[in-house]
Amino acid sequence: MGTTTPPRTLAEALRARGDEALAGLLRARPDLLSPVPSDITQLATRAGTRASVVRALEHLDRFALQTAEALAVAPDPAPYATLLGLLTGDGADDGEGRDDAGAAITAALPRALGTLREQALVWGEDERLHLVRTARELLAPSPQHPSPTGLGPTVAEATAGMSPGRIQEILAAAGLPATHDPVSAVASLSGLFTDRSRMGALLDTAPAEALSVLDRLVWGPPYGEVTPHPAPPVQWLRDRGLLLPVSTRTVVLPREAALHLRAGRAHRVPEPVPPALAAAAGRDPQAVDRAAAGQAFTALSTVEELLKLWDNGGPPILRAGGLSVRELKRVAHALDVTEPVAAFWVELAYAAGLVAPDGEADERYCATPAYDDWLDLPAQDRWTRLATAWLAATRTAGLVGGQDAKGRALSALGPELDRSAAPEVRRRVLDLFASLPPGTAPDPQTLLARLRWERPLRASASGSGPSSGDTPSDLRSRIALWTVNESELLGVTGRGALSSQARALLDGGPAQAAARLAPLLPEPLDHVLLQADLTAVAPGPLERPLAETLSVLADIESKGGATVYRFTPGSVRRALDAGLAAADLHAFLATHSRTPVPQPLSYLVDDVARRHGHLRIGAASAYVRCDDEAVLNEILADKRSAALRLRRLAPTVLAAQSEPGALLEGLREMGYAPAAESAEGDVLIARAGARRTPPRRPPVPVPEGPPVPDATLLTAAVRAVRAGDTAARAVHRDSPDAEAPGALPRTSPAETLATVQAAAMTGSAVWIGYVSADGAASQRVIAPVKVEGGFVTGYDHTADEVRTYPLHRITGVAELADDQTG
Amino acid sequence: MSCLIVQSDKTLLLEVDHDMADACRRAIAPFAELERAPEHIHTYRVTPLGLWNARAAGHDAEQVVDALVEYSRYPVPHALLVDIAETMARYGRLTLSKHPVHGLVLTTTDRPVLEEILRSKKVQPLVGARIDPDTVAVHPSERGQIKQTLLKLGWPAEDLAGYVDGEAHPIELDQNGWALRPYQKQAVEGFWHGGSGVVVLPCGAGKTLVGAGAMAEAKATTLILVTNTVSARQWKHELVKRTSLTEDEIGEYSGTRKEIRPVTIATYQVLTTRRKGVYPHLELFDSRDWGLVVYDEVHLLPAPVFKFTADLQARRRLGLTATLVREDGRESDVFSLIGPKRFDAPWKEIEAQGYIAPADCVEVRVNLTDSERLAYATAEPEEKYRFCATTATKRKVTEALVRKHQGEQTLVIGQYIDQLDELGEHLDAPVIKGETTNAQREKLFGAFREGEISVLVVSKVANFSIDLPEATVAIQVSGTFGSRQEEAQRLGRVLRPKADGHEARFYSVVARDTIDQDFAAHRQRFLAEQGYAYRIVDADELLAES
Repeated sequence: MGTTTPPRTLAEALRARGDEALAGLLRARPDLLSPVPSDITQLATRAGTRASVVRALEHLDRFALQTAEALAVAPDPAPYATLLGLLTGDGADDGEGRDDAGAAITAALPRALGTLREQALVWGEDERLHLVRTARELLAPSPQHPSPTGLGPTVAEATAGMSPGRIQEILAAAGLPATHDPVSAVASLSGLFTDRSRMGALLDTAPAEALSVLDRLVWGPPYGEVTPHPAPPVQWLRDRGLLLPVSTRTVVLPREAALHLRAGRAHRVPEPVPPALAAAAGRDPQAVDRAAAGQAFTALSTVEELLKLWDNGGPPILRAGGLSVRELKRVAHALDVTEPVAAFWVELAYAAGLVAPDGEADERYCATPAYDDWLDLPAQDRWTRLATAWLAATRTAGLVGGQDAKGRALSALGPELDRSAAPEVRRRVLDLFASLPPGTAPDPQTLLARLRWERPLRASASGSGPSSGDTPSDLRSRIALWTVNESELLGVTGRGALSSQARALLDGGPAQAAARLAPLLPEPLDHVLLQADLTAVAPGPLERPLAETLSVLADIESKGGATVYRFTPGSVRRALDAGLAAADLHAFLATHSRTPVPQPLSYLVDDVARRHGHLRIGAASAYVRCDDEAVLNEILADKRSAALRLRRLAPTVLAAQSEPGALLEGLREMGYAPAAESAEGDVLIARAGARRTPPRRPPVPVPEGPPVPDATLLTAAVRAVRAGDTAARAVHRDSPDAEAPGALPRTSPAETLATVQAAAMTGSAVWIGYVSADGAASQRVIAPVKVEGGFVTGYDHTADEVRTYPLHRITGVAELADDQTG
Repeated sequence: MSCLIVQSDKTLLLEVDHDMADACRRAIAPFAELERAPEHIHTYRVTPLGLWNARAAGHDAEQVVDALVEYSRYPVPHALLVDIAETMARYGRLTLSKHPVHGLVLTTTDRPVLEEILRSKKVQPLVGARIDPDTVAVHPSERGQIKQTLLKLGWPAEDLAGYVDGEAHPIELDQNGWALRPYQKQAVEGFWHGGSGVVVLPCGAGKTLVGAGAMAEAKATTLILVTNTVSARQWKHELVKRTSLTEDEIGEYSGTRKEIRPVTIATYQVLTTRRKGVYPHLELFDSRDWGLVVYDEVHLLPAPVFKFTADLQARRRLGLTATLVREDGRESDVFSLIGPKRFDAPWKEIEAQGYIAPADCVEVRVNLTDSERLAYATAEPEEKYRFCATTATKRKVTEALVRKHQGEQTLVIGQYIDQLDELGEHLDAPVIKGETTNAQREKLFGAFREGEISVLVVSKVANFSIDLPEATVAIQVSGTFGSRQEEAQRLGRVLRPKADGHEARFYSVVARDTIDQDFAAHRQRFLAEQGYAYRIVDADELLAES
């Protein structure tokens, strides 16, 4: 059925596909699968949703994308020939090499179209190619989303809002016959622009300046700013519709005109073939393998060193997760690497499951049990474990030290370091490495260019364009560069080229890689060279037990292919502390040294051993002291003393592990008469049952209700009550015209001062009106004691205490009636 | 299996017993500094200065990388190779040269570098007008300053501005009954070819003769800077003996005499004397048109002399030293102001050729008496060293050692005058110290040389440049804490070849379990690193033997 009638919709086109092709679509666009669509129509609908199309477009390589972009500016549906013409051009500007490019495009187009068809972005037969509508909307030029093609809208789109009269003017200026309706007018104008010879003739009449204006717009952006009264060349173009107004100040070069000027090409530079990966250097493949193996070995020892560093309690975990900057610095310092490199090692150990949070309340990072298993593996397997974990990890150590979108610092082992693109990019980078002949180191810049070609939208989405500078800002390129660096650190590459063991890892698997790596790794040695300057040089990696003992017995001074150890009194003491005796050390040195043990080294061991343990330290709870050694002998010999756990330290001293009290009691039971001693050695006189608290007060009784007032208080209270009463009912001698009872007395400040001064001298009470700081007015009866500095101090009968009032707050004062005082 | 191991800290370990060790040593010596040379594995260090020394000597990065890759037992880390290439590429991007019109100019082959350094505040006052995009004029007086500054900025300049010939003065070597040793010849050639620079030779290897050889090449008036007056006299003595120069042609410029002759020997001390904030003897540098300036014991060059040297960049400069290690870390000033290393021969190699005597180094550990230990434990921290270094027990052991080597020419070297006086009294030997007059010193040295006296007690004034050919035993009782330089100098006292060819002995008497022992360990390490096997012996055993 599908063979005879061409499909009318995407759904029909999909339906006509074989199962294999449908599976291909679902493989390429797995997002269509969740949930599994119920039928083809639903699948087609879902394949046309914006999110899904954006996703699919992002996975296109540059040429497939350019093909889609060309389809988006072509009429819908477009025949294959039109599409090819848009990509190769119509041959109007035959230049050098243009034919080669054309041939490359002709060769590459079926593949690109195939990709688009497979992904259900394009459907229909070759004569009627449809770009899925959503894709068309996304890729077609619009003022909001300028197309990468740099083309503007079509004449029809650009003249949509234009008055018919104006269109007719344009037709006239372009030398076309007038038409009756705008639609035919637009068609006529488009026809002119797409007709190569007539358009050529029109442009031949154009002034040179007008052509240079067109030149500026032709490869986009197609929009230009104009003044309301533009210069004659622009005017000329505008009159003929070669520039169409978008707004009052903006004009656009219509798509048809631009395509004519571009000789029909939608893209300035079609890129049908991926940019070649340039080789930066070609090296001897064996040297590469050796260098990579050397680096692989360093990687192993670095990870071991890191975890050894954290053996006795690793760094604490930040509350937000991860390592603090200071801890990372400490690691960097200990490993003698830069901080970004330290972050890589830490993340690598984490990704390989060798280190994890310990889950304690005070959480720290710590080696996992898997680390111990890992240590027991042969070196080559240890490396493949690390390399496999690294390949698959989504955590990207390169981000450490940067900031997330919210400006928070990204810390090593912290959250927010996962980038789902990382494994894919990493793998792709290594595959590209592998595509070169063995021993070839690619140039990182061409590597990045290639990656950008493969995923142009992803690359440009987060920043720089296709030809950016040395430090790309888009995530994929950054991951790619990190991958290049990390491969070198990990020994996946050696001197910039992929090693054969890494190829084996990529193609075969860990077992094959390990088999390849094993013969390249240095054989562990069982001997060192001892020298008179108290160093030992291990001219290669050491067998583990030897290395462990030696790292206790001596300090590591320099690392690399060899290890230089230095013996110091401190390091020898450390070995003695670890339970080795001087004789063991001599034997150890003699066994493992290929050269005679230098005399100064033997001397050093003996000298430290001579003093080691000279002073002994232990803990005892109590001691027994007695000048008579015989008594102590007796106590020790007595079975009953066993419970006291006595030990003889000196002829006249026993140490006990029991408390002094228990010791006294125990010895008394045994029939002795011991006396306790103070820290100064005085005999403590003990009295029975004389335990006392520190000085304490007796408790204060808690009576029911308020306490019974005493006489003074009562008197004062009565006076206060009285005084209040007095104040309320006072009859004022000096104010016969007093207002109603309760009103404040009012006198002038001078009078007030004089009256209170007089009262202070006579010791009599006066009645004052007073306004408090918060404006509350009250009446008080006071007996002024002194008046100075604007304040009057006196006994306030109302409050029953001595108070001070500012004079300026006193509204007035009156003497109390004679009969009321006393 | 090859013989070289490249470490990640940029040290190179060379297995000396390996068949290829000699070839390898020759390949790496131009750019790597020998740091330690104990018996089995020698350690070389690759430093920027070393790499630039190599560049100055005409080696390029490729040779260095090839040498490492060829001899390395394990793959050389790529990063290290890249780093070496980058460091070496820094030298020579800037060149100081003479411009026919503008005088001294700084030219670059890499414009951004010039832009970078011209933006430095430290460079700005030293340069003049920009002549073209790649060239800038330099004030002729700042030739030394700018070299120093550029080195600090990490862009060492190659000095091709040439030298003035100076006032000509005929000087010939008088090789009658002796001849320059092969390595001395090489050293002179290396220096003369390079223009200016430092020759590193162990004590006793005849550095004075290298100086004389250089003078015979220059055939010009020469200023020789030495550490002290005794050394000045010895230079004079040697020059009169070994060259066509006569006594009258050689002047001594010291605290006591101020003679300026065609060849003038001045002491550092007189040059660095300051009166009222000025250096009154500075004009010595300008008093004649010197064609050559020789710096003896470059590693001791006092800081002010560096400053004067900065102004002497148009004259040929020869530095002589036993070690480039300066305890003040001013190696870079030596590099930029005197010049790069032009010749270097390890101690052991010259010893193997029979030019210096082998030495047997023994550390004698002395048990202090109980009362001395108690006194030591309670001594003030700053007095501790002095106390343990000067204990009576040590004195007795020293006396026993002197008795043991009765009849051999013995030097007793110490730091503390009262200890030395006491020793002198007990040993019935003359003491040479700071206050001993030069005449008296020379007389005693003469007597010692003639064998009239066999034991001499010397303070640190004799550390430098005294020539006591027949000393076969040196006993050091105290020193300047753990100074390695001093150790090298003292060892040098006994390294001069002996007439009867028998082994020299170098004793250090050290009080056990004290700070003296710690300092001794520091010095011993230096000896071991120089390849001198040393033993530690208990004083009791030693005394029981004798």
